[in-house]
Amino acid sequence: MVSDKFRRQLRQEAELWQAEGLIDTDLYEQLSERYQFNTLDTAARDRFVMILLGLGSVLIGLGIITFVAANWQELPRNGKVTLLLSLFIGVNTAGFYLWRQPKGAQHRLGHGLLLLGSLILGANMGLMGQMFHISGQFYELLLAWGIGVLAMAYSLRLTSLSVVAIIIIGLGYWGFWGDYVGQGWSETLAGEEFSWSSQMGQHMPLISGLMFVPLAYWCRSRAIFGLAAIAVISSLLANLYPLSWGWFSFRSTGLLLAIAFALPPALLWAYDDSLWVYGDFYSSNRQPQPLATTGSFQPLSRSLSLAFLGVVLYLLSSFFFWRILSTDYSGDQPRNLNWLPLVDALILSGLAIFEWLRLAWLSRRIRDRSDSLITTIAIGIFISLVAAIPIWHLSFTPIPELATLIFNVLLFLFAGGLMRAGLAQGERQPFWGGMVLVTLRIVTWFVLIETGLVLKSLLFILCGVVVIAVGLWFERYVRTLSIKH
Amino acid sequence: MTQSSQSSSTNPTFVGQRSLSGRIPSWRLWVPLLFQTSVILAAPAVPFYTVMTGKSIVLQTVPVDPYDFLRGYSQTLSYDISSLDTLRRLPGWKQLLKQQAGGKSINVPPPAPSSEYLVSGTRFYVILEAPASNKSSSPKPWKPVRVSSDRPAYLPDNQIALKGKSTGNSIEYGLETYYMPENRRDEINNDISQARGGKQRQPIVMEVKVDTLGRAVPISFWVSDRNYRF
Repeated sequence: MVSDKFRRQLRQEAELWQAEGLIDTDLYEQLSERYQFNTLDTAARDRFVMILLGLGSVLIGLGIITFVAANWQELPRNGKVTLLLSLFIGVNTAGFYLWRQPKGAQHRLGHGLLLLGSLILGANMGLMGQMFHISGQFYELLLAWGIGVLAMAYSLRLTSLSVVAIIIIGLGYWGFWGDYVGQGWSETLAGEEFSWSSQMGQHMPLISGLMFVPLAYWCRSRAIFGLAAIAVISSLLANLYPLSWGWFSFRSTGLLLAIAFALPPALLWAYDDSLWVYGDFYSSNRQPQPLATTGSFQPLSRSLSLAFLGVVLYLLSSFFFWRILSTDYSGDQPRNLNWLPLVDALILSGLAIFEWLRLAWLSRRIRDRSDSLITTIAIGIFISLVAAIPIWHLSFTPIPELATLIFNVLLFLFAGGLMRAGLAQGERQPFWGGMVLVTLRIVTWFVLIETGLVLKSLLFILCGVVVIAVGLWFERYVRTLSIKH
Repeated sequence: MTQSSQSSSTNPTFVGQRSLSGRIPSWRLWVPLLFQTSVILAAPAVPFYTVMTGKSIVLQTVPVDPYDFLRGYSQTLSYDISSLDTLRRLPGWKQLLKQQAGGKSINVPPPAPSSEYLVSGTRFYVILEAPASNKSSSPKPWKPVRVSSDRPAYLPDNQIALKGKSTGNSIEYGLETYYMPENRRDEINNDISQARGGKQRQPIVMEVKVDTLGRAVPISFWVSDRNYRF
């Protein structure tokens, strides 16, 4: 999508060129057609109207939910069911047929109504439960509601509905997690019944990947892909958590810790969508080809991987963390461990290993992209160390001092690499990411270290000055870069 | 990071063009809408079946917070048979505990105090028996006679099996929430405090439908001789 700002500038320039006789009216018309100059003036207004409509829909939706909660008892039960279902179907149908119109006010109103319809779905479900005095769990309602919205998002290919669905399912998952983590879900129960919602909660890492990642490609939305990645990773970590204080003693959780720290960045870094973006899984040369109908999400996936790795390195670089790990912990030993949540971690690990083997295999053929190959090798080494050292520390000999030292070195190498990459590509994000990481680490040191306040303040000021100087220099460097371009 | 700018520069025709709409066939609305409708109807389907086919029984209940019966528009209820103390005295309890221990893995012994404690999540059935006679204006509650881990294949006409699930310190039957109209809150509140405050404490009982599988749905409740049904 070309930005409005660019089109506005282009129109201004094109008008100037036309006035100066640089281009003729024909060419101007062609430019105007191609970049849709005529929609420019209405674009901002349309967006404002869209926001108002969206806000209005949300408010009406909340109003309806409150109305439901106010418990209207006067109608007979059948009447209530009929009324609610017809409201639900009516709003969705009206929304769909308006939205199907070509772009314009009706299209936007329809979009708003479809969003409203997805909220009415939840309100209807709540009311049905109320009418039949169902004392079920709230997270079950959320999960079922989210799946319903997801079906509509897939069918209509709507990013907005997809985001709503992911948020609702996410809330449902955390509700489930909160409920079960207290009750020891890591145990299998003798007389327990098979319930769809607990299965869904226990396998959320896989299920959310299967549900949301194809949707991102279908809707061509980076937002959906980002949310999907967060859903997979966060539910994976959350599902591993109860196991770590359950049947395992803290000493033997090295493997779990390694999975939790190393699997997400490994999975995200080696993520490859060339098969469904370019139709060529063995492609090492990812130039956009005619087949490419949608952008690749690989760059986004790699950015998320780096962000995760940065947080993990920061965590592991503190002595405090390793000292906590060294303390022996033996809590209650549940009678029967539920291994099911580990299945997802194993499947995802298998996927990550496959991705990395593929990367290694592809690298044999690559001659010209040595820079990216070196980056991948470096990331691979980082991830291996993130996995290996906790296992060593927890399963063999505790090495708190050595581990702290290693991870501090890794953290500074990582931050330096990020800053270097940012400089090389003239991009702010990785550069500032590296800066923040280093600064945070140094600040943490100073806060924890026991020295005089005067010295501390001096060091703080010094660091601040250095950071500002480097930042200013970089910003100027980027500006000269973009001018040269 | 660089990919997005590449693809947009090769595809400037993208501008304002994602005109999927206009040609979208109607089934793209109706199929998910049908699915959503079935999701709405799925939750009440089982209770509806229970209400239609179930047998009416009466259970003794107490509001969970006796000082403020109707805090909101729904009330959390606790039944006599929700308490472990009631169930412990019944025949079948010992077998239930034994079975619970047997279902566990062999190498880990069950914790010592578990003789009085039902592991959270355990499912079982409470067999209830109808009261002998019913002459008073409000119905008499059914009495629990035994507990069983399996649903009894045969029961006499005056008995019924109700399915319960342990939460660790109490038992849930799916009857714990009752929704009421907000505007009648004060009226019901007064009724209850009168019934409970008088010299002979009047019972509050719940009328419940139970189907052949032991699933239950609350129908109405009685405060002395008054029936409330929502």
